[in-house]
Amino acid sequence: MIRILLRYIILFVLTLLVLAGLSFSLAYLFPGDVLANLTGITAQNEMQRAALAQQFHLDSGYIVQFYHYLKNLLTGNWGYSFISGMPLSEEVRLALPATIELATYAMLLAIVIGIPVGCYAGLRSYTAADYTINSASMIGYSFPVFWLALLFILMFSLEWNIAPLSGRISLLFEVPPKTGFILIDILFADNINRLLAFRDALHHLMLPTLAISVISIASMVRITRRSVIEVKNKPFVAAARTRGLSQGQIFYRHILRNALLPILPLMAIQITTLITNAMIVETLFSWPGIGNWLIQAIYQRDYPALRIGMLAVAFMVVTLTILIDLFNRVIDPSREKYERVAV
Amino acid sequence: MPMLDIKNLTLEIDNGTSRVKALDRVNLTIKSGEIRALVGESGSGKSLIVAAISGALPDQFYLTADRMDWNGESLLSMSSEQRREIMRRDIAVVFQNPISALDPSATLGEQLEESIPAELVEGKWFWQRRKSRRKAAISTVHKVGIKHHRNYLNAYPHQIPTDIGQKFMIAMALISQPKLLIVDDPTRGMETTTKTQVLKLLTRLNQTRSLSILFISHDLLAISSMAHTMTVLYCGQSVESGRMKMLRKRPLHPYTKALLDSAPSFRHDLPPKSILPNMDGTIPSLKHVPIGCRLGPRCPRAQKDCVITPAVRRIHDHTYSCHFPLHMEKL
Ligand SMILES: Nc1ncnc2c1ncn2[C@@H]1O[C@H](COP(=O)(O)OP(=O)(O)OP(=O)(O)O)[C@@H](O)[C@H]1O
Ligand code: SF4
Ligand SMILES: [Mg+2]
Repeated sequence: MIRILLRYIILFVLTLLVLAGLSFSLAYLFPGDVLANLTGITAQNEMQRAALAQQFHLDSGYIVQFYHYLKNLLTGNWGYSFISGMPLSEEVRLALPATIELATYAMLLAIVIGIPVGCYAGLRSYTAADYTINSASMIGYSFPVFWLALLFILMFSLEWNIAPLSGRISLLFEVPPKTGFILIDILFADNINRLLAFRDALHHLMLPTLAISVISIASMVRITRRSVIEVKNKPFVAAARTRGLSQGQIFYRHILRNALLPILPLMAIQITTLITNAMIVETLFSWPGIGNWLIQAIYQRDYPALRIGMLAVAFMVVTLTILIDLFNRVIDPSREKYERVAV
Repeated sequence: MPMLDIKNLTLEIDNGTSRVKALDRVNLTIKSGEIRALVGESGSGKSLIVAAISGALPDQFYLTADRMDWNGESLLSMSSEQRREIMRRDIAVVFQNPISALDPSATLGEQLEESIPAELVEGKWFWQRRKSRRKAAISTVHKVGIKHHRNYLNAYPHQIPTDIGQKFMIAMALISQPKLLIVDDPTRGMETTTKTQVLKLLTRLNQTRSLSILFISHDLLAISSMAHTMTVLYCGQSVESGRMKMLRKRPLHPYTKALLDSAPSFRHDLPPKSILPNMDGTIPSLKHVPIGCRLGPRCPRAQKDCVITPAVRRIHDHTYSCHFPLHMEKL
């Protein structure tokens, strides 16, 4: 177990190093003057230029620069945004949880709805009910997410006026960001009617979550269904049946666990899609998440922000993927936990 | 009345383009308290018969039979609930590949304990019942010759050696105290001492509890020492069936003779270092089964009439399907 953990940690650190290297080299890949890109200041004369270069270590070699970049990353000194002038670490700390919150609720919906529906379809495989669910999930899966979000806005916000158009919460409520998760922050907030604020926040959450989760639910249904059908035809299920176990016993004791095990790694792959979708939907709903923030950075050519934002997103995706993989390895007894650790 | 009575069991497999008869009018009966051996080359359909009896056939298999009765009740026309009840209490199956018949995500102990019928569990409260289950599991595991139950009851199927898996499947079958035990090649690949142990256990259960056994094996020596009756299967057809002694002394079907002759220990008159008599060729694949008697192309006695499927003929309790049987002059 220790060895597996060690391997995962090494893998994790190496991946992060590569990511940091990529984000570091972005400064040189962006169009324009490197110094201007990094500082946001166009040097007026040679002296100022030299001074700035020295401050940002541009006068030394790439390796030294990278070393300083890493040091700054680790100490939380991530630079400043051109636009707001705020420290980037602070901005990311506010924007990232908003995205994670959205993605989490969408994932929860996908699990709560997708897995039972998928199991039902898998158990009734090749019947009318199964075909109906399967076609529905196929349609849901093929919707482009931005189109779906626009459709929702058009229908629910503009036509029927039952959901707010944008934002996380009505401006009437002042919720100081503590965790970055709006629903949790509301619980901590003082001086507001928490119940009303909670309902308002849910109202705001509804459309973007729904827009993202349609695709996640659909793919979860499909993955689960496939997995259940596969397990259902395994010899050990037939053997369990010949021992006279009831349908319920066979499903809960033998099919369910074996069907869910292969779903977990597939969920890890899903997370990338999920976060991408969340970032797209954010821009449409003006949700103050990292996607929206990055788009603003692109519009404003805020290169330091872009660099850090991309690194932050990549960091999040890599962490989640590795954590899920590790978790999956720990709970799956059919893998040789102590022997085979091919990463 | 036989306990299990199967007449003209036909199993068709749909392989997309056409249907092939994997089992062609197979007859099989098992009386209460008897050990019946089912023999035949690899691919002759023994495991398919097991799957047909236990109802573990995939969807694309089509099963028909003139009769398939368990104690006079038709297995084919009864409700799935009744069939489940029979499988739960009366018939137990040990499949050929023990590891694939076990759930990889549950421990052996869990799977053994869930096979105990609820009415055999003592106690009223769940902790009493749990204790009773555990006790039954441990004693059954000991009975089949697994000594260190502690090592194995908490293990997952991939962690155990194959022979333990095979014994474990027998334990799992015995724990419901069945009337008929179907064992499909239970001693394959076992070393001699382990094999003897398993065979002894089966014989003892047959004698003390009058457990009926359908014993499928390639080990003719083991079969002849413990089975009372034998059914010979070739390419999905039951070619000969009768008492073990009769079949050994006077096989009527050419295939039975070839099969018995292929085991050297059966021949007393065999000169040392002589070439074993054997049938030419191999068992045909399901795509290319010959018409009529399926043994035809390999049979040394085949004649023109053999393109017509021979009917089942009977001499006392000895049945055979051949136009030109052996040893008829002596009868
Ligand atoms: N699922 C299946 N689909 C198609 N054909 C099958 C299937 N299972 C078995 N068969 C065919 O049925 C025939 C009989 O197979 P079976 O497994 O019953 O042989 P067997 O007598 O048990 O052999 P062995 O002694 O090796 O166990 C074989 O020709 C095999 O190819
Ligand atoms: S029927 Fe013909 S081919 Fe078949 S076993 Fe008898 S003699 Fe041989
Ligand atoms: Mg077999």
